Amino acid sequence: MGPVQSTEEIFEQLRGVLHELFEIDPARVTLDAHLYNDLEIDSIDTIDLILRLKDLTGRKIQPDQFRHVRTVGDAVNAIHTLLQHKPAAA
Amino acid sequence: MNESGPLNRAWRVFATGFSFTCFGLGAVLLGFTVWPLLRLSSSNPRIAVARVQRAVSASMRVFVWLMKSLGLLTYEIRGREKLAARGQFVVSNHPTLIDVVFLVSFMPEVDCIVKQALWRNVFLRWPVYWAGYISNATGEGLVAACAAALAEGRSLIVFPEGTRTRPGEPLSFQRGAAQIALAAARDLRPVTITCDPITLHKGNAWYRVPPRRPHWVIAVGDPIPISSFLRAAEPQPLAARHLTQALTQWFDVSITQQLGKMRTETRPGG
Repeated sequence: MGPVQSTEEIFEQLRGVLHELFEIDPARVTLDAHLYNDLEIDSIDTIDLILRLKDLTGRKIQPDQFRHVRTVGDAVNAIHTLLQHKPAAA
Repeated sequence: MNESGPLNRAWRVFATGFSFTCFGLGAVLLGFTVWPLLRLSSSNPRIAVARVQRAVSASMRVFVWLMKSLGLLTYEIRGREKLAARGQFVVSNHPTLIDVVFLVSFMPEVDCIVKQALWRNVFLRWPVYWAGYISNATGEGLVAACAAALAEGRSLIVFPEGTRTRPGEPLSFQRGAAQIALAAARDLRPVTITCDPITLHKGNAWYRVPPRRPHWVIAVGDPIPISSFLRAAEPQPLAARHLTQALTQWFDVSITQQLGKMRTETRPGG
């Protein structure tokens, strides 16, 4: 991911990831969509999702940072916040 | 006695209540006496848990015998010998309250996943504790715990639906069973359970007995291999989804066929 990313870009990228990992139809992925109730992403999936986001963002992600995430919009905001910080040193 | 007459129905309501009372009392009595003693009978927890599980299995056989003897049900088990091997990952559909009673009665040593509500249940928390059953409290931890049990050579029963089937609704499997199979690299041993007329199903009170005595068919199938899902170059979440779809289709066909046969065949008397 580039250094400066708008929430729109993050949203599009997240759509791609959700399709690639879970075969979720991008049309179903809206900002309001609930990850668990609407998109059927369970707790096991969440682990894989966070791993993938770690690779994509190059940031360390603590599961705590995603604890409050319920909707796609929450996830976009969490990633956006994450990208404000400098990448973790290798 | 006329098997579908009002007198018979009244008897079956009474006898069902009696059976379930026996079940609860038995669970409490054994849960405070025999099972803790067995659990403490060896310093090796694996041996001790195996002893408790064999005793639980025997008590389930008594319970099934009781319900059958009281005229509450008839049943048929097909391919029971296939359940004998150790380290089996048994997956079954879940039409009725007593499915697990049947399965445990056929399998002397087997682990089950027990929902959080039962760990808080006054009657059942001690038996499930002594028998070393697995709690569903944690999502990720649960898959790992089940895979570990299988890796140790223990057998495991999972209902992929996660709860009893709602009659008339399409079969819906959660992905946990597939995730366990993939994590443990273990083929699935499917068991198809059908009950006709349906009773003790989701949302139906125990005293609402069916019009005539219900019959269960419990059929043990051949293993469903997971190698093609493990080999596929796809992320594990996707493999779990595809395996879950395949499993749901397998059970859909199997349940429909088995139920269709039951309804056309003459039910065994006695």
